[in-house]
Amino acid sequence: MDIFEEIRALSEKYPDRRGALLHALYVAQKDAGWLSQEALNTVSNALNLPQATVKGVATFYSMYKHRPMGRHLIQLCTNVACMIMGAESLVDFLKGKYGVEPGGTTGDGRFSLVIMECIGACDRAPAMLVDTDFHSDLTEDNIVEIIEEYK
Amino acid sequence: MIKVTIDGREVELENPVTVLEAAKQAGVIIPTLCYFEGLTPFGGCRLCLVEVEKLPRLQTSCTIMTADGMVVRTETDQIKAARRSILEFLLINHPLDCPFCDKAGECDLQDLVALYGPEAGRFAEGKRRHPESFDDPIIVRNMERCVLCTRCVRMCDGPQGAYAISVTGRGSHSFVEPFSGGKYNCEYCGNCLTVCPVGAIMSRLHRHSYRPWFVEKEIETVCGFCGVGCSMVLQMRENSIIRAIPRAGVGFNKGLLCVRGRFGYENVESEEQLTTPLMKVDGDLKPVSWEEAITFITESLKEIKDAFGGKAIGAVASGRCTNEDNYMLQKFIRFVLGSNNIDSSARNYYAPAEAYLERIFGQGITANLISGIANSDGVFVVGGDPTAINPILGLQIRASCRGGGKIIALGAPGGLKRFVAYELMPTPYSEEIILSAIVGRLLKGKALSGENTTVEAKLRSLKIPSDEDLGMTGISSEDIVRASDDLAGMATPVVVIGPDIIQRERASKNLARIFLLSERPNYQGVMDMGCLPDFLPGGRPVELEMFRHQIEGALGLKAPQDKGLTLFEMINEAETGGLKALYVMGENPLFNIPDSAKVKKALGNLDLLVVQDVHLTETSGIADVVLPATAWPEKEGTFTNLERRVQRVRKARRGRMASYGRDDWKIIADIAERFGMTKQYLRVEDVWEEITHVSALHTGLGYEDIAEGKAVWPYCGKPLRGMEGDFSVEGLDGLPRIRGSKKPYLMIERSLYHSGTFSRRSKALLSIYPEPYLMINPLLSERLGLAEGEKARISNERGVLELKVKLNEDVSDSQVFLSNTFEGAGAMGLIGFGIDSVIGSLYIKDNTVRVEKVRV
Repeated sequence: MDIFEEIRALSEKYPDRRGALLHALYVAQKDAGWLSQEALNTVSNALNLPQATVKGVATFYSMYKHRPMGRHLIQLCTNVACMIMGAESLVDFLKGKYGVEPGGTTGDGRFSLVIMECIGACDRAPAMLVDTDFHSDLTEDNIVEIIEEYK
Repeated sequence: MIKVTIDGREVELENPVTVLEAAKQAGVIIPTLCYFEGLTPFGGCRLCLVEVEKLPRLQTSCTIMTADGMVVRTETDQIKAARRSILEFLLINHPLDCPFCDKAGECDLQDLVALYGPEAGRFAEGKRRHPESFDDPIIVRNMERCVLCTRCVRMCDGPQGAYAISVTGRGSHSFVEPFSGGKYNCEYCGNCLTVCPVGAIMSRLHRHSYRPWFVEKEIETVCGFCGVGCSMVLQMRENSIIRAIPRAGVGFNKGLLCVRGRFGYENVESEEQLTTPLMKVDGDLKPVSWEEAITFITESLKEIKDAFGGKAIGAVASGRCTNEDNYMLQKFIRFVLGSNNIDSSARNYYAPAEAYLERIFGQGITANLISGIANSDGVFVVGGDPTAINPILGLQIRASCRGGGKIIALGAPGGLKRFVAYELMPTPYSEEIILSAIVGRLLKGKALSGENTTVEAKLRSLKIPSDEDLGMTGISSEDIVRASDDLAGMATPVVVIGPDIIQRERASKNLARIFLLSERPNYQGVMDMGCLPDFLPGGRPVELEMFRHQIEGALGLKAPQDKGLTLFEMINEAETGGLKALYVMGENPLFNIPDSAKVKKALGNLDLLVVQDVHLTETSGIADVVLPATAWPEKEGTFTNLERRVQRVRKARRGRMASYGRDDWKIIADIAERFGMTKQYLRVEDVWEEITHVSALHTGLGYEDIAEGKAVWPYCGKPLRGMEGDFSVEGLDGLPRIRGSKKPYLMIERSLYHSGTFSRRSKALLSIYPEPYLMINPLLSERLGLAEGEKARISNERGVLELKVKLNEDVSDSQVFLSNTFEGAGAMGLIGFGIDSVIGSLYIKDNTVRVEKVRV
C-alpha cells in the first residue's frame, strides 16, 4: 500500500481530517526518514488539507525532519541524569568514532545524531533511541556494539 | 441587559460582547495588535490587557466576554507597565529599521512604542536573523519585523479562505510562510497586506517609492474590474495612484479586495494610454485634432444617415464605462440618430440571461444582496467559478460554507475546491441533462406550489432524462438523488449562474435567490441605461408605445419604435452590407466576440468604424477614427453592480492627455450637439439628473443618496413589468445530443488574475500570469506526449496558436482551456458562435481543436 492509500485508510479512524494529520505525517516520514515538500504534498492531497496548514503543523514538532537524514537515527539524551552519568563524553566519543556532530549525518549516510530531551529512563542513564529501539546504561564500549548492529 | 462599567463609564449591552467591543461602544480605546475586526479573536499579543474587578490577573479584553456588573479599568499604572514590558519583549527581535521600512508612519508597533515605551531595551543578546524574501513578484516578506500576531494567517484561513500561508516552526524560530517557503502561488488578494500591523508583509509594487505621509488625497471610489463593485480608496500623490486599498466600514466588501482590484490599477498609468485622436490616413492611424476628428465623424454619420437612414448605424456600449457614458451613447444613437441598434458585450451572456430569468420569475429576480449569500444555508454553483470571475462574491460563498452552508457545484469547482460538499462533473455539454434530471427528481418529491402557473406548466412538459440518458453524462442517478435532496433541503438556497452555462440553463428553483456573475464592472448599468436594442432606459420595452411616449415626452425627442439589432445581428448585417457605421465605446469586439476572422471581415466592411477607448486595441487597429477616453479612475460617474446597487465612481487623477482629457459621455455629447441636440451638459451630474427623470428605476435618486451606499434600485422608482409573463422555451420535450468529439473542446479560462484587455497592461498582474498558456489535464497531456512547459499547437479552421502547456488535474480531459487576455492569443479567436433563437444570447459552437506537440 503506498503512502497516499495508507493515509486515506488511517484517516477513517479519526473524527475529522485535521485530527489525522500528525499520524499521517509519521506515515509520510516512515520511508525516507524525513518530510520533503513532495511528502507534505502527498499528505495534503490525501487528507484534502491545505498545503500551508500541513507545513505549519509539520514544522512545529521537532520529531518531524525537514532535511534528509541518515538511514538510522540515533537520539541520545543529555539531560541532567544522563549528563551526570557521562552522556556528554559519549557525544564526543561518537564524533571521534563516526565523525558525526549533533544534528549531523555521517558521510556515508548511515547515521544521523540528534540530541534528545529527557527520554524518561533516568534510572538507567545514559540512554538513547536508535530508530525506535531503546538502549540504556550506555558506555563507550557497549555503544559501539549496539550501533554496529545497524548497518 | 448587561451593564458594564469601563473606566467609570457605564455601558448597557443587549447581547454579550467582548470587553474590547464594549469599550469601543463606551468610547474607550484599548490598544491592540493581534486584534482585527472580522478575524477570529486570538489573544496572542497581550497588549489589550485590562483590569477586571474581582478577577485576580490582568485579562485580554479581546477574548473575555462582558458579564453583568463587570467593572473594567483600561489604563492603570499596572497595565501601562505590563504593556511596556510586552513591547520590550516584542522589540527583542524586531530590527528597528524604521528609517528603511515602508511601514513607518502607519505602523501599529511604532505607534504603540511611542505611547507606552520602552525608550531602550535591556536585551543584550543578538537579534534573530532571517533574510528578507524577494522570491515573490508581488509580496515581500520580512520576517525579522514580524511580531507573530497571526493576523495574516487568520485573514488567509478566515475571510479569504485561501489557506496559502501558515506559521511555520516554533518559538523564536516561528515565521509566516507560504508552502513553498518562497513564492506565494496564492490568490494574491493582498488582504494580508491590509492586516499586517508592521512591515513584515509588504507590497513590492511601490517599495521605497513613497512614505505614508506623502499621500496627498484619498479618493473613495468603486473598483473598475468586475460586476461586484467593491469600494476602494485610491491613495494619490500628485497625479499618480500610490496604491489601492480597501477601507473597513466602506462598501459591502468589508475591507476585502481581490488581486485585480488591489494590484490591477497600474494599467491606468500605462504608457500606452491614448493621448490624442487618431484618424486613418492612407491605411495608417495618424494623430489629428479633436476638431478634425469630430467634424469627420459628424459628416460621415450625416452622409450615412441621409443615404441609408438611421437603421444603418449601430453602436456598442461598454460594461467598463459609467451609467452616464452609456446613457449618453444610447441617447445619441436612439434619440438623435434614430436607431435602436445598440447593444454591448453583455449580450454574450449577461443581458439575455437576466432578461430570460425575469420573464420567468418576475422582475428583479437577480437583484439580490451579495452579503446575503454568507447567511444562506446552501449554494448551487453552475457554469463558472465565482471566486475567479467575481472574487469578492466568491468569498461570500466560502463564508456560507464556514457557517455550515452546503455548497454544490455543477462543473469544476475551481477556487471552491475546499468548500464544496461535492461537485458533479458531467461530460462536456451535458449539464442540461443533469439539470433536467434534478428538476425531474424535485418534481417527483412534492406537488408544485401553484404560485406560478406558467412556469409550472413548462416544468410539467419538461422531458425528464432516463437512466440511459444519464449514463452518457457520467453522473449516476444516485448522485442526482443526492444533489436534488440536498437542494430541496435548503431553506435559503442561492443559485449562482456563471457565463459558461447560460445557453443550457433551464432549471431553476422557485424561492431561490439567483446571482448572475458579471465580468465587467457595469454590465447591469449598460442595461439599465437602455443600451439594448429592445429596451429604453429604465428597462422599458421600446415597442410599448406608452413607455416610449413617456420617455420621448421627457426628452422632447423621438425614438424609433421597432426593435434594433443585437450585437451579433449587427456583426451579421455589417458583413452583408446592411449596417454602414458602427460607434464602439470602450469595447473590443474583435477580441471579445468569438470568431475574430468573421468579426474582422464584418467590421472591415463598414463605411465608418469609430472606436472610443483608453488604449489602442485590436478593434481600434482597423478603425477609421480612434478617440481617446478617460479610464475609470479618471472620471466621475456611477456604476451599477450585479446586485443593482448604484455606486459612485470618483475621479482620482487626470488622464495622460491632460489638456485633451474627455470623458466618454462628453465626447458623445459634443457630437450629438453637432446633430442639433440642444440640451447642454456642463457636469456629469447634469447627465445623471436627466437619467433620474427618464429612467423609472432611478427616479429621485441623487448623487448624495448614492454616496450613502444604499442606492439599490428601484429606488423611489416604480416597479417594472408584471410579475409573470409567458415565455418560450426551446425543445422542452427533448434532450440535447451530447456533442461527442474525439478532439478536445477549447474553453475560455476565466482567470482570477486577468479579465481581458485592461489587465494585460497591469505590470503586477502580468508578473503573476505573464503569458498565455494552454491548461490541460495530465491524462490528456500524457496521451499527447506533452509535458508541462512544452509548446503545443492548437488549430482548427479559424486559426492556429502555439502556446506553452500548463497541467491542471482539476479540469476535464476532454477540454483544453485558454484565457481571452493576451494579444494575438485569445481563445475567442478559435471559437465559433451561434445565436440562441429564444434568448438571443451567444452560444459557443465548433470549438473543437486539434492539439499537437510542437517539435523543436
